Amino acid sequence: MALLEIRDLVVRYGEIEALRGVSLTVDQGQVVTLLGANGAGKSTTLRAISGLAKPAAGDILFDGKSIAGLGPETIVRLGISHVPEGRRIFPGLTVKENIMLGASNRRVATAELSREADAMFDLFPDIRKFSSSLGWTLSGGQLQMVAVARGLMAKPRLLLLDEPSLGLAPVIVQAVFKIISEIRRNTTVLLVEQNARMGLSVADHGYVLETGRIVLGGKPDELWGNEAIAAAYLGGHAKASA
Amino acid sequence: MMDIVLQLLFTGIGIGAVYALVALGFVLIFRATNVVNFAQGEFSMVAAYLMVVFSVDLGWPYWLSFLLSLGGMALLGVIFNLGVYYPLRHRSFLPVIIATIGASILMANSVLAIYGPQPQVLQGWFDTPGIQLGPVYLDSQYLLIIAVTILLVIFNYWFFERTMLGKKLQATSQDKEMASLLGISVSTMIMITFIYSAVLGGLAGILVAPVLFVSIQMGSTIALKAFAATIIGGFGDVTGAIIGGLALGVIETFGAAYISVPYKDGFAFLVLIFFLVFRPQGIFGERVAEKA
Repeated sequence: MALLEIRDLVVRYGEIEALRGVSLTVDQGQVVTLLGANGAGKSTTLRAISGLAKPAAGDILFDGKSIAGLGPETIVRLGISHVPEGRRIFPGLTVKENIMLGASNRRVATAELSREADAMFDLFPDIRKFSSSLGWTLSGGQLQMVAVARGLMAKPRLLLLDEPSLGLAPVIVQAVFKIISEIRRNTTVLLVEQNARMGLSVADHGYVLETGRIVLGGKPDELWGNEAIAAAYLGGHAKASA
Repeated sequence: MMDIVLQLLFTGIGIGAVYALVALGFVLIFRATNVVNFAQGEFSMVAAYLMVVFSVDLGWPYWLSFLLSLGGMALLGVIFNLGVYYPLRHRSFLPVIIATIGASILMANSVLAIYGPQPQVLQGWFDTPGIQLGPVYLDSQYLLIIAVTILLVIFNYWFFERTMLGKKLQATSQDKEMASLLGISVSTMIMITFIYSAVLGGLAGILVAPVLFVSIQMGSTIALKAFAATIIGGFGDVTGAIIGGLALGVIETFGAAYISVPYKDGFAFLVLIFFLVFRPQGIFGERVAEKA
C-alpha cells in the first residue's frame, strides 16, 4: 500500500516553476531514492511534502489523506520527519538537546526524552562522546549523524532525507548509508541524493528528476540498465563522487 | 573617598540593573524575531502608569497593584505580538521595526491623552527609606531593584538552560524553519517571548518609577540607555545585556559625580560611540558574528 502518493505536484517560487507536475509513490517499508542534478527540484519535492513549500497545484496524500498545504508543525505530528539539506543543527544547543528537540511533535516527559536520546546514541555511537558539545563545534559527518538522530526522535512513519552525503568524505558517506540501511527496518525512507551510486545502493525504487519533472522511475537495476539514462543522469555523478 | 566610591557603585548598579532588565527584553525579542523592538521602553512607561492607576488613583494595596500591573503587561505583550509583529512576520525586518516605532508613539501619546504631561509620583515598595551599612547608605528601592534583578537573572538562566520550553525558545531563535519542522510551534514561542519581554520591561518601569518620576518620557530615556547597554554587551547576547546595563549604570553615575551632572546622560552615549567605533561587536561579540 502506498504510504505517500504525490500527484501532479506543482510548486512555484514567484515566477519560477520549481516542480512542474511531479508524481511519485512511496510504499510502506520501502526506501525510495530521488535522483537528479542541482536545481532539478529534489529538495523542493521534500519541502512540499513537509509543508515548507506550498503546492500551487496537485496533491500529496499521506496514508490516503491529503496533506497538501498543511503547515510543517502539523505534518510532523502526522508522522513525517524531514531532515533538511545542510543538516540545520541548532548551533547554540548541545548535541543531546538537539536530539531531544526532535521529539517536539510528541508529548513526552523530559526524563523519558533524555532516556530516548541516550538510546539514540546506540544507533549513532560515533556522536555519543559529543553529547554535551554545542552544535557548531561538530564536523559535517557528525552533524549529519545528529540530524538523522534528531529526525528519528520524531518516531516518524516516513523519514525524508535530503542529501545526507553532501560534503562528506567517502568513508563518512559509507557510515551514513550503513545507518540508512539500518533505519529502513522500521521506517519508510524517501531519500534525495546527487550521489546516484550510493543513493540507489540502499533503494527499492528510484526516480530521476529533471528540471521539475520525473523523467524516469524504476527499480535500481532498471535505472542502471538504461544506458542512455545512466550516462546522462547517473554515470556522471557516480564518477564525480568516486 | 572610598565611602563615596562605594556609595556611587551601589547607586550605579541599582540604576544599571534597570537598564539590564530592559536590555534583556531587547535581546530576547531580537533573538526570536531578528527585529529590534523600539517600543521596549514604552513597556516600562506603561507599567509605571498602571502602578499609578492601581496604587495611587484606586488606592489598592501595593502588592496587588504590582501583580495587576505585571498581568496588564503580559496582556500588552499578547496584544503587541498580535497587532504589531504577527501581521508583518513574513516581511523584511524594516516594516516590523517601523511598526514598533509607531506602536511606541501610540503608547506614549495614549498615556499623554489620559494623564496629561505632568509627571506622576509613585511611592516605593518599602516605608523605610533605607539602611546605613557602615559608610554606605543603602536606599531600600535600589536594594529591591538589585534583588529582583539578581532573582530574574537566575530565573532566566534556569528557564533557558534547564527547561525544554527554554530550549524550544532557543531553537526557535536560532532557526525558525527547522524548529517548525520538528513540530515546535514557532508562533507560540514568539508569543511567549513578547509576553516575557513586556513583563521584564514592565518590571523595570515599576521598580525605577519611585526613583524617577513617572512621566511620558521615562520610556524613551530608559530604552536609549538599555539599547546602548545591548550594543556594549554585544547585540543578541543575554549575559552581555546584563553586564552592559550594569556597566552603563555605574559609568554614568561616576561620570555625573566626578565630571558633570548635566552631562550624565551624555556619558552613556559617549561609551556607546566608543564601542561603535572601536568594538562594534560589543564585549561578547563572537556570538553576534555567528548569528549573522
